[in-house]
Amino acid sequence: MSAKVLKKGEMMRRSVSIFLAILLILGGLILVGCDLFGDNGGDSGSHRKVNFTTGSGPLLSIVSGSENKELEPILSKYTAKNKVKIEVTYLGSLDIMNMLRTGSVPYDALWPASSMWLTMGDKKRILKHTSSISNTPIVFGITESKARELNLNRDDVKLRDIIDVIERGKLSFAMTSATQSNSGASSYLAFLTALAGEGEVLQDADLDDPQLVEEIKTLLAGVNRSSGSSNWLVDLFLEGNYDAMVNYEALVISANEKLRAAGRETLVAIYPKDAISLADSPLAFVSGSGREDKEKLFLDLQNYLLEESTQREIVATGRRDAYGRIYADQKEVFTRWGIDTERILAPITMPRAETVERALNLYQTSFKKPGYTVYVLDYSGSMIGAGRTQMLNGLAELLLENRARQHLLQGTPKDRSYFISFNSGIIDTFAAMGNSSELENAYNRLRKIDAGGGTDMYIALSAALDIFEKDRNELSKYQPAIVVLTDGVSATSWKQEFFDAYEATGLDIPIFSITYGSADASQLEDLAQLSRARVFDGRKDLTAAFKSVKGYN
Amino acid sequence: MKSKHIKWIGFAVLLITVAAIIVVNIIMSGRPDQAMLKGYLGGEKIGIFEDEEIGNYIKKTYGLTLNYQKAGSYDMMSLDHSKVNYLFPASQSAFEYYKTLHGKTPKNDIIYNTPLVIYSRTKIVEALQKEGIVFERNGVFYLYMDKLADLMLEGKTWADVGLPELYGSVLVDTTDPASSNSGNMFAALLANTINGGNPVNQSDLATVVPKMQTIYSKYGFMETSSADMFNQFLKKGPGANPLVAAYENQLLEFAVNEPKIWEAIKDDIVIIYPIPTMWSSHVYIALDEVGERGMRALADPKVQELSWLKHGFRAGAKSAQETGRFNVAGVAPEISAVTQMPTETVLNQLIARIR
Repeated sequence: MSAKVLKKGEMMRRSVSIFLAILLILGGLILVGCDLFGDNGGDSGSHRKVNFTTGSGPLLSIVSGSENKELEPILSKYTAKNKVKIEVTYLGSLDIMNMLRTGSVPYDALWPASSMWLTMGDKKRILKHTSSISNTPIVFGITESKARELNLNRDDVKLRDIIDVIERGKLSFAMTSATQSNSGASSYLAFLTALAGEGEVLQDADLDDPQLVEEIKTLLAGVNRSSGSSNWLVDLFLEGNYDAMVNYEALVISANEKLRAAGRETLVAIYPKDAISLADSPLAFVSGSGREDKEKLFLDLQNYLLEESTQREIVATGRRDAYGRIYADQKEVFTRWGIDTERILAPITMPRAETVERALNLYQTSFKKPGYTVYVLDYSGSMIGAGRTQMLNGLAELLLENRARQHLLQGTPKDRSYFISFNSGIIDTFAAMGNSSELENAYNRLRKIDAGGGTDMYIALSAALDIFEKDRNELSKYQPAIVVLTDGVSATSWKQEFFDAYEATGLDIPIFSITYGSADASQLEDLAQLSRARVFDGRKDLTAAFKSVKGYN
Repeated sequence: MKSKHIKWIGFAVLLITVAAIIVVNIIMSGRPDQAMLKGYLGGEKIGIFEDEEIGNYIKKTYGLTLNYQKAGSYDMMSLDHSKVNYLFPASQSAFEYYKTLHGKTPKNDIIYNTPLVIYSRTKIVEALQKEGIVFERNGVFYLYMDKLADLMLEGKTWADVGLPELYGSVLVDTTDPASSNSGNMFAALLANTINGGNPVNQSDLATVVPKMQTIYSKYGFMETSSADMFNQFLKKGPGANPLVAAYENQLLEFAVNEPKIWEAIKDDIVIIYPIPTMWSSHVYIALDEVGERGMRALADPKVQELSWLKHGFRAGAKSAQETGRFNVAGVAPEISAVTQMPTETVLNQLIARIR
């Protein structure tokens, strides 16, 4: 008998160890899954970059387009009342589509700007309860004086009128990247459609028509600043003195509120009749077995967002409600800025999915303004080992053609890239002209540089400025940017000289930076402020930071 | 002494386990075997599968918990079927496609019927009435398919019919005919119309296809789910989708389940019955024993009644239904002018040429 009991104990131990082994395997799978996923465009579960958290209790995680940032107070009100926690991660609609395509989505819900990306992305049929939360058209926001000067402040503007003033050098505008953000993509597709012929649908063959190619290049040459996020485009607008941007009607309204508060000139919304697109802001649940609790959390939130009182709060932010309506007593939110609320919004017919994909590829490799990027890379002593390796891994995603193509971040053949490696001085400077083997050679050269020594990024930044200065007369044909990566605190003996030199050039070159290791964020913030750019946090995921920064250029 | 203690503990563990098994068996014996009913479902029927009243009744009576993954009627036929009990497309042709694809005929039954209709807005309907394309009889709106087809073949724009504020050509927006049933049915209906009102045969394709291509080249991005298509019609406004082909049940269901929103928008929304139209016969395909039980559950008279009253699905294609219970104007009690789908082979060839 006691032998039997012993055996039982052994069996128990065995089953415990089997159980532990299964746990280990599961754990391992989850870890591997996360890493695999990290390669596919989205922020993965373990290092999910949460931008906004509200409430406490059971968690609902949402990945959303940045335009919904304005709805954060509405979410906070909800979580306070219902004892739940909501985490929001902001990601471009196209990245959301790419994530959805893989079928493994480390979030409970998706909230991109337009349902088109969900239809194109949900190949694995994992979405449920998709419902539009609000509607907003994509418009040209142009300063009142500029619109008047160019006679664009009228009801019957067509895209041709806008191309004409761009061609004559009278107008430039900021717009998000068509391969990263919905507002950029939708307006770009609307432009192509209008150019293909009014009332027509863009066909594959149109993309090979030399006249259309010429015209879309002319139009995109009018882009003075690009961005990976619609919401950030508003911030940029508020910091600088720009004339126009392509953005959601809702964000033009919100920019206007801020511009007026600052006593500055506001924007008029222009609706080119032949190039209107709508963002219908769908909120969808990511289904899966054993997710009933999350499903309930999701439906509760969705119902709340669609209740009339919440819809009114959403309309107050300048959006049209889930049924495209503006409530009679809220018309003033729109009419205050001269928006005609009775206008029927007749969006263009979007092209077929295959044509959309081809058009986006052509944007990235041919139609968009070529990039002129100077990379300023920290090879100081503290980068020895992991830092240098991770920096090179991140660069590989942008510079190696095959990888860059997966993220729709490959450049055009006319791209110019410069690479300045620095420590306390400049280690090496070289150029790569093109988008293919030239960049691969550059990458290989960067791999041969050893790290060591102190840190002075201002010397390297001054050298970057000299490069742009030399090509000053050609710069309007390019989308210029400086990309700095540093992991330490820079010496500052040349800081003031650099700032003075930057101001003296009068050039509008954003200095995007990526923080790594113990980088001094305040030094980088100063650069961002000086140049109306942005700091990306590379401490959690350096590769993702490199990808984001490229999406802004 | 110690080993004796251990012996007793071992005995107690055994006893508790046996007792637990007996108790669980007693609890379970009064109820049907509980199972999860998993399958691929056409988006237009999600409302039924999400309906708590129907779900509770089926769980109690048939021991099934309803579960689904949304998929287009044609798409679902070629998806992985190893983990599902049923397929529930929106047409018989989709089932024909299954049979060709898999070479077998599992148990099946037509569970619901709903006619293909066209949804529009007051202002657009008025313009089409002036053109003599739409007319009203006894409060129900009808549309002559042949006149609409002529308009589309001539490449008329909305501006040509007096609506310059709308974008582009006169078209009926549909789901992708290659992947979803409502779009597929509308393409078949249009092809029959172009074919002089007769179901298209193999020999008719040569004349019908070029005309269909003329029309379908004007379609761009297409939704792949009838539910998404209908939602967009309601939500994006008249400018985005002036005319939409969808199922009758979709509006009836919406009116029942979203009474407040429906009350606010109903004056502008019009349901139009094309002459002729087609029935969407929702065939349930059972893939295994659990799937067959699901088939019996859905055919249960109680479930059928709730499906009409709450979700707008007609039970039989022939019988007239009581339409007054819906707060929707212009619902036809009977559908009389109906055309048949072309054969699956012909339809496939047609769709392949137009998309």
